[in-house]
Amino acid sequence: MNILTLQPYLLALADDQMILSHRNSEWIGHAPILEEDIALANMAQDELGHATLFYNLYCALTGDDPDALVFLREADAFRHVQMVEYPCGDWAFTMLRQYLFDAAEMTLLARLTESAYTPLAETAVKMRNEELYHYRHTSAWLKRLGLGTEESHRRTQTALDTLWPLAQQLFVPLPGEEELVQAGVIPSSAQWKAAWLDVVRPFLTTCSLTIPADDTPPATNRAAHSEHLAPLLADLQKVARLEPNAEW
Amino acid sequence: MSDTQWPRYEVFKQDSPNQPHKAVGSVHAPDAEMALLNARDVFARRPKAVSMWVAPASTILSMTAEEMAANPGWRMVSETGEGEERPFLIFTKTSQRRSMTFVTHVGVITAVTAQEALATAVANAEFDAENVWVWWVVPESAITRSDPDDQASHFAPAADKTYRQQSSYGFVGPTRKNVKRET
Repeated sequence: MNILTLQPYLLALADDQMILSHRNSEWIGHAPILEEDIALANMAQDELGHATLFYNLYCALTGDDPDALVFLREADAFRHVQMVEYPCGDWAFTMLRQYLFDAAEMTLLARLTESAYTPLAETAVKMRNEELYHYRHTSAWLKRLGLGTEESHRRTQTALDTLWPLAQQLFVPLPGEEELVQAGVIPSSAQWKAAWLDVVRPFLTTCSLTIPADDTPPATNRAAHSEHLAPLLADLQKVARLEPNAEW
Repeated sequence: MSDTQWPRYEVFKQDSPNQPHKAVGSVHAPDAEMALLNARDVFARRPKAVSMWVAPASTILSMTAEEMAANPGWRMVSETGEGEERPFLIFTKTSQRRSMTFVTHVGVITAVTAQEALATAVANAEFDAENVWVWWVVPESAITRSDPDDQASHFAPAADKTYRQQSSYGFVGPTRKNVKRET
């Protein structure tokens, strides 16, 4: 197996973390209470750190510059799932999105720690502990939102109705998957999805939430984006684009 | 003004296994579990910590040495002999130095009421009452502790994040040359 086959996979992982981190950072100064403002900023910073680690693995294979990838790439070249580019919405949407993502990351990292590609396995080990904490935090919130008041339940269910199909895009196989799975580099997306479902289904049910019947992902590849990406990148990239050759 | 905030919890942090827990500040939270999570994010995002406790502020008896001197009758409030004995954690503040602004856990006393526990502590030479500025008495039953199994995911990752430390950022260029050390 040629390790360059791993490129699309690493870019997808990095972009997911990067865009979610940026969305969560939009809450800074606006979260419902000070403590949660700090907690979410912490998580955004953690995800940014994870994005950096994945971009570094990707760039080690391609020779690209991580900063240029983030700050100068065009929208149609990003490979994250649409779920992470959606606006923050209300607190229920933000917490549920982070929860679904944390569960996906947690179950994936557990498998990547055994990757035959050592740099990827080492990176997964590094991130895993942090991700366990994220999961604890967001699941604690979900429980309180789902079982809290009528309004908190309604908002969380509404968020789930939107996010459930979006989340399925995480498990759409990427080019080269079969080869990578056979070489023991990554788990199959079907195996990953099964592990994710085993975590989120029973948990969401205990939160008194109903899993929507519709689980059709919004796209069958990661090149397709929603109308929300362009404004996000305009904000994320505006300073870097003012002076693309500036030295920082 | 009515208080629309969640209840306040005092947070106690232990920096390494052989050190006592120290009060580090407070967080608002709807319950003890969330208080522990909030405490982790607010007070342990930088190294270092190995354990945390939280207790509702409303359960804590706090007295300063000044208050005790001004109200010698404080001991009489207790109703010794009624109810069951239970453990109270004693915390004291013994220094006015800037880095030691908060109370530190110094022992446990079994008593029926917090006042009785405090009176016992003040009389006990072990607690060195003459050098105590502030006393806190916390019923052990009010304390929620972090799970030792969570140390790796809650506290250990911060140790690698030296970029969150002020010390990882030196002086910028010329500024350093302009700083004259006063000794």
